[in-house]
Amino acid sequence: MLRVEHLSKTYPNGTRALTDVSFEVADGEFLVVIGLSGSGKSTLLRCINRLIDPTEGKIFWDNIDITAATPADLRHIRRNIGMVFQQFNLVKRSSVMTNVLSGRLGYANPWLSLLGIWPDEDKKRAIKALERVGIADKAYNRADALSGGQQQRVGIARALMQEPKLILADEPVASLDPVLSHSILQYLEQLNKEGITVICSLHFLDLVHRYATRVIALKDGIKVFEGSAREIDRAKFKEIYGEEAQEVRATAL
Amino acid sequence: MTRNALIIAGLVVVYLASYRVTQIDFVKLISEAPKAQTIVRAFLTPDLFVRDFETTTIRVPFPIPCGSAPEADIVSSGPRLVPSVKCAAEKDKFTLEGFSLAPNADIVVRWHFPDDRVLTAARTQTDDKGHFSVAVDAKPIAKSINGVPSQLEVDTNTAVGGWKASQSLKDVMQEIFVTIFMALLSTSAATIIAAPLSFLAASNITKRGVFGAAVYYVTRSFFNLIRSYDPLVMATVFGFWLGFGTFPGVLALTVVTIASLGKLFSEAVENIDTGPIEALTATGSNRLQTVIYSVIPQIVPDFVSYIIYHWDINVRISTIIGFVGGGGIGFYLSQRINGFEYNKAGTAIWAIVIVVWAMDFLSAEVRKRLT
Repeated sequence: MLRVEHLSKTYPNGTRALTDVSFEVADGEFLVVIGLSGSGKSTLLRCINRLIDPTEGKIFWDNIDITAATPADLRHIRRNIGMVFQQFNLVKRSSVMTNVLSGRLGYANPWLSLLGIWPDEDKKRAIKALERVGIADKAYNRADALSGGQQQRVGIARALMQEPKLILADEPVASLDPVLSHSILQYLEQLNKEGITVICSLHFLDLVHRYATRVIALKDGIKVFEGSAREIDRAKFKEIYGEEAQEVRATAL
Repeated sequence: MTRNALIIAGLVVVYLASYRVTQIDFVKLISEAPKAQTIVRAFLTPDLFVRDFETTTIRVPFPIPCGSAPEADIVSSGPRLVPSVKCAAEKDKFTLEGFSLAPNADIVVRWHFPDDRVLTAARTQTDDKGHFSVAVDAKPIAKSINGVPSQLEVDTNTAVGGWKASQSLKDVMQEIFVTIFMALLSTSAATIIAAPLSFLAASNITKRGVFGAAVYYVTRSFFNLIRSYDPLVMATVFGFWLGFGTFPGVLALTVVTIASLGKLFSEAVENIDTGPIEALTATGSNRLQTVIYSVIPQIVPDFVSYIIYHWDINVRISTIIGFVGGGGIGFYLSQRINGFEYNKAGTAIWAIVIVVWAMDFLSAEVRKRLT
């Protein structure tokens, strides 16, 4: 269980990204975070694995205080939290295999991994992860030779290497064609059904309805809504996104 | 309006001043052009190959008067002398031609009397093809004695054996390799030092916290400081320190290259996509692992390209460094120019041109393949 308490983040340049955000995520939930660009979604997700250090507030995971973890503890905590990014964040020149294996760095022998030596077990695990996302045949291609949808699947395979208990997905489909959105989110949904908690930021209302077990909404860094996906109708959506917002439908499959 | 007019007036003054101080003289540039011819021609005809020569004397019997002695057989190839008539009466004039002799050489035509005394008959020069033609008097003193004719003779140098590399070509070959190796060694040494330092001078890697920022600024300033010294100044300093030669040359090149590569490397590191760093940090990998897996693959092609480019640059710079005593082809070239041996200097210049061209081509090809 993840518990976020009175979380605030002010960047050194004075931008106030989060203000007093509190919520809880039970194990096995698919929590969707919605809000305009700049509303603090990315900052919130990055505070959870401390890619960004919050200014105030605490985050507990299974009663461990993430915000107070030492660097060594933090690495152990991060191993259990997979992350999927809007821009995939793959090393484009490296092979798909290397990208996937790098998800295992938190577990690997530090010295052998620096030399690029991986145990067979990890290589098998990587192939299996790629099989799960249906691109095992691309294992030895360069990452930038793959399409956007395929690259995001490599991103998911990399997160799977961590054997995560939690996956943070920062707008995982925002850089993809709408038609690909479902294929990516279905992988996340499948992992969620296998017991991995997912916290995912999304933009499209119909995707929110389809995948979220619960939703929180941010506006200017403040939590303005928390509830089930069904409670978010057009009116609520307009309230969160502002009057001018026009909902764009992701094409249904 | 007035501001623009002032700027233009200011620029005019500056350019007029620079025109005066640089003492530009276009008239002299044209009128004195012939002076450049000698040196340019020497540079264009480098000293490359030589043959060994042997001095031989070529003779042809010439009876005076006709019938006083047997006439010469007609020879039609090889170095030879051919008089326009086969014999002559006393005081007649005839033309003597020489073929296939040493080209562009001074020729002394002599009478060789039957009693082995010798008398100069004419002086001339051979043309590019080793041919000459000169008027000769059939002097009474050269008449045949007891059926033995006087002979006309010239000395000529004839090549012995095949062409071989001249001494200066051998020296240049050796020195050009010294220069290439100087550049290779200094570039490699500079890479080993600059590559780790460049990470310290990359803001996205180092500039974190007060300590990080301090390291960043110190490294940056170090690069900028040594970059502001010209290779020539460096070579002079090391030359005074260690005596002139290739070693101080290599050291000077290394120091300059550290600064230059360090700056280029750190910019390459700063331009990387930070997404993968974020992604790997999120997996729980440590800092070194993150750098090896996310930064290194992104910078290797840039680094290799800069290294090869600097090797290429260093071949050129080490030529110039040689002029101030840094060894290699540049030193050889300056020695030949100071000694007025312009053909030998030409050999060095051609070698430099070829090597610089080859290095440029090679580095362009390698860099093309690195994408």
